[in-house]
Amino acid sequence: MLLDPGMDLTLRPMRYPDFYERYRAAIRNTWTVEEVDLHSDVADLARMTAQERHLINRLVAFFATGDSIVANNLVLNLYQHVNAPEARLYLSRQLFEEAVHVQFYLTLLDTYLPDPDERVKAFAAIEHIPSIRDKAEFCFRWIDSIGDLRSLENAGDRRRFLLNLICFAACIEGLFFYGAFAYVYWFRSRGLLSGLATGTNWVFRDESMHMEFAFSVVDTVRAEEPELFDEELGEQVGRMLEEAVAAELAFARDLCGDGMPGMSAEQMRAYLEYVADQRLVRLGMPRRYGTENPFAFMELQDVQELANFFERRVSAYQVAVEGNVSFDENF
Amino acid sequence: MTQIVEGDRRLAIEEAAARVIADPANSRVAAGLLAEEIADEAAAHGVRSFSGSIAATHAAGLIQDGLAEFVAAHAAELDALVSDAADERFEYFGLRTVYDRYLLRHPVTRTVLERPQHFFLRVACGLSETVAEAAELYRLMATLSYLPSSPTLFNAGARRPQLSSCFLLDSPRDELEAIYDRYAQVARLSKYAGGIGISWTRVRSRGSLIRGTNGHSNGIVPWLRTLDASVAAVNQGGRRKGAACVYLETWHADIEEFLELRDNTGEDTRRTHNLNLANWVPDEFMRRVEAGEDWSLFDPKDVPDLPDLHGEAFTRAYRAYEAEGRHTRRIPARTLYGRMMRTLAQTGNGWMTFKDTANRTSNQTARPENVIHLSNLCTEILEVTSDAETAVCNLGSVNLAAHLDGRDGLDWERLRATVRTAVRFLDRTIDLGFYPTPEAGAANRRWRPIGLGVMGLADVFFALRLPFDSPRALELSTRIAEEIALAAYDTSADLAAERGRHPSYDDTRAAAGVLHPDHYAAAASPRWDALREKIAATGLRNSLMIAIAPTATIASIAGCYECIEPQVSNVFKRETLSGEFLQVNRYLVADLRERGLWTQATRDGLKRADGSVQHLPGIPDDLKLLYRTAWELPQKALIDLAAARQPYVDQGQSLNLFMAAPTIGKLSSMYAYAWKQGLKTTYYLRSRPATRIAQTTVQPAAAVEQVACSLENPDVCEACQ
Repeated sequence: MLLDPGMDLTLRPMRYPDFYERYRAAIRNTWTVEEVDLHSDVADLARMTAQERHLINRLVAFFATGDSIVANNLVLNLYQHVNAPEARLYLSRQLFEEAVHVQFYLTLLDTYLPDPDERVKAFAAIEHIPSIRDKAEFCFRWIDSIGDLRSLENAGDRRRFLLNLICFAACIEGLFFYGAFAYVYWFRSRGLLSGLATGTNWVFRDESMHMEFAFSVVDTVRAEEPELFDEELGEQVGRMLEEAVAAELAFARDLCGDGMPGMSAEQMRAYLEYVADQRLVRLGMPRRYGTENPFAFMELQDVQELANFFERRVSAYQVAVEGNVSFDENF
Repeated sequence: MTQIVEGDRRLAIEEAAARVIADPANSRVAAGLLAEEIADEAAAHGVRSFSGSIAATHAAGLIQDGLAEFVAAHAAELDALVSDAADERFEYFGLRTVYDRYLLRHPVTRTVLERPQHFFLRVACGLSETVAEAAELYRLMATLSYLPSSPTLFNAGARRPQLSSCFLLDSPRDELEAIYDRYAQVARLSKYAGGIGISWTRVRSRGSLIRGTNGHSNGIVPWLRTLDASVAAVNQGGRRKGAACVYLETWHADIEEFLELRDNTGEDTRRTHNLNLANWVPDEFMRRVEAGEDWSLFDPKDVPDLPDLHGEAFTRAYRAYEAEGRHTRRIPARTLYGRMMRTLAQTGNGWMTFKDTANRTSNQTARPENVIHLSNLCTEILEVTSDAETAVCNLGSVNLAAHLDGRDGLDWERLRATVRTAVRFLDRTIDLGFYPTPEAGAANRRWRPIGLGVMGLADVFFALRLPFDSPRALELSTRIAEEIALAAYDTSADLAAERGRHPSYDDTRAAAGVLHPDHYAAAASPRWDALREKIAATGLRNSLMIAIAPTATIASIAGCYECIEPQVSNVFKRETLSGEFLQVNRYLVADLRERGLWTQATRDGLKRADGSVQHLPGIPDDLKLLYRTAWELPQKALIDLAAARQPYVDQGQSLNLFMAAPTIGKLSSMYAYAWKQGLKTTYYLRSRPATRIAQTTVQPAAAVEQVACSLENPDVCEACQ
């Protein structure tokens, strides 16, 4: 079974081809930081209000460390316990993507904050800014929660592992990051920070896949060991999500202050609750909030893009192509 | 208080705009609110009439004295032409585009000094000599029946009226000074919103000896890096980024490195992230690909006349140089073709454009010294260039959707009338335009080419319920192309009688009695015979007339589908410099409404299926057939439509091809077919991302349940192969 302890090396026969396909699909979507053009963002920043500037600076400070935290959990916990080589292939790929995200946000920070002291402060935000510190502590607590587990020997161990996995998928990548992306798309809907939005599109795409991979690990474990998914686990997941919503809401209050047209802490609360419900549904658990999505601009992120190539780099191309020259295939 | 009201209105606009999926009527609601917003903004500058807007923009130093005087002299007549009710024709995205990008703004406050209808009439007046002329063009624009290209919309009547869309520059000569001179020309042309096509075929390849220093050349890549940086540095008046496409002939010894310029892996010092790339492919190459033979690569320094030869003469010289052993390398033609296909799949770039077809059928290439060396940024312009002549083209497109007759076809008479007016005004732009370089001005006045195109073909097919790949669609599309060409040629003949032939008329095939359709056996007809006789007497005012441009921005303004393209999705998002906008296929919504099927479940299902109706429950088969997306149509049908239209398109067509999950095998079959069918050019290969974001505003499918069919992930879905 997937969570049985060990270091399985056997790829044929392959037990979980779906994980391998996810790995291949991820490779086809390789992007590099050099493709993101941030130059028009600098002009946008110059004409922002102090309140918007504050929001952006805090957001960049969060981004500065967010992906590194996720990468740490992957290395310290996930890779060790998900015992299938094809799943570890995906995780290796995910680790690379987290590195690209870290590089992207570093480049962003260097571009947005020309003053070296400001840059240092942004990385220190995790210690000094309460709304960011609280989110980080939430993450560290869950990383540490299974730090003592060398192998998943019994049902109790496996439930502890599942909670860690679900936390990083549903609460951190699936809620903290989703919240942060919403601010970016709010700016984008007003024609601002298109460079950040381009990079965010790609990060968003990657994060979505990470989350989906984690959820399909959950699905697999559920199919193999349904008894692990008891009421207690459901309750724990619910409480964890509540805690995450509260931490992200405190961050939103810090970012939005008294609110701006189209973006306020109250709207963000509704959005986070809405997203949290979606995570619960995906996990086969009942909704907790029943809140509607307040952000019309997020609807835009769900449909195919048709970039006007004069203006924006099209983000839809694939990296690996296969096959040989021939003249009689259907097209 | 007013500030709160304004803030509320802006929010209401954004809310309505984001809810167009629930009800497409929200688009008009948002547009109506935005029109009020614009009127208030202009009124804050005291602008309440057209003549008032001209006075204000003139006082702000934005328009020519001549235009201001013309309007002042005819203020009452012109003011009476303006129909603000015409704003109701705009969809939100169209009006928003006009507002964000086209309306003139106060240099300091950055708020608008004119309303959308003032803008249309200003453009019309900027191109007219009389009020009657201005009224005629204004009427076409206000009804969204015809729109000139963006540079004309941006700059008509402006102090520097650069009205042309495209510039085509021949390759720099193979020397340092010539290369740097080209950079400067490109920068000047780019500054005034022109798209650049430039060949690099004459520049020596990597390893070639440099006599002056006894060193070896690093090839074309470092030069193109410099071009890349230069193009990116020019921001076209803050309105859009500069853009260029580099053409290289397939025999150039640096072709393989050229094909890698857009890769996002590998050494970044050998990449150009902003340049577009196109292959200028001779027939001999395609023949050898088919035959499975070898292909020789040359250093241009060793074969300096190859860029100026085409057809038989090219083939003869190429084979002779091969026999003499002048080539640097030989590789299997299929290996190179496979790499070209891979570049298309990976980057969408590396467009396939066909040198010999383009030259064989062009009106401009009657004399051997007049050669087409490349196409332009969007692969629809094919004009001769030389070191001293930069080809230019002025564009405009007819909105076919505005020419439906309300019953079951097109209003042909009105279509012809629109074309006649359009051709007259396109011809006019040649004389009114400001040319950023003397090479461009010289060429344009000599050849006087124009590029009349179309948009909204997909709207016509939807309205008349013709699936894109149906025989009736093919027949109608071809007839549209022929009618437009006939009316355009006829008008150009009239203009020649009134104002004279273009100066190089004697160098054209038309002067010898050969018109473009004559190159295609299927296109012979008595109507062309009559026209040929007329032209024999009058000559032509313009050497070339028809080009199918992509119309990305003006189709947005007109609220129709782009040029000759099928829809990419029934629900999609447009990303532009002014933000993201949701679009939904309003024909589909109307059909589903009528059948009581436009429910929340359908809307969610449609989004989950990425805008495809193929697997939505309860959709009748006739609608599934009609509302296929570009990803679901056979691409052969797109190529067949383009090939049938080609006799009546004397320049090229910006033909995008679509393949969700491209393979080398499918692509190589597809492009070989396009070449065989006689297409002059193709444009982007559009493919889809291998992974995608998790949708946030659609109810997730419940746990464990597998997605039945996903085009995004074809490897795990056999159903879609």
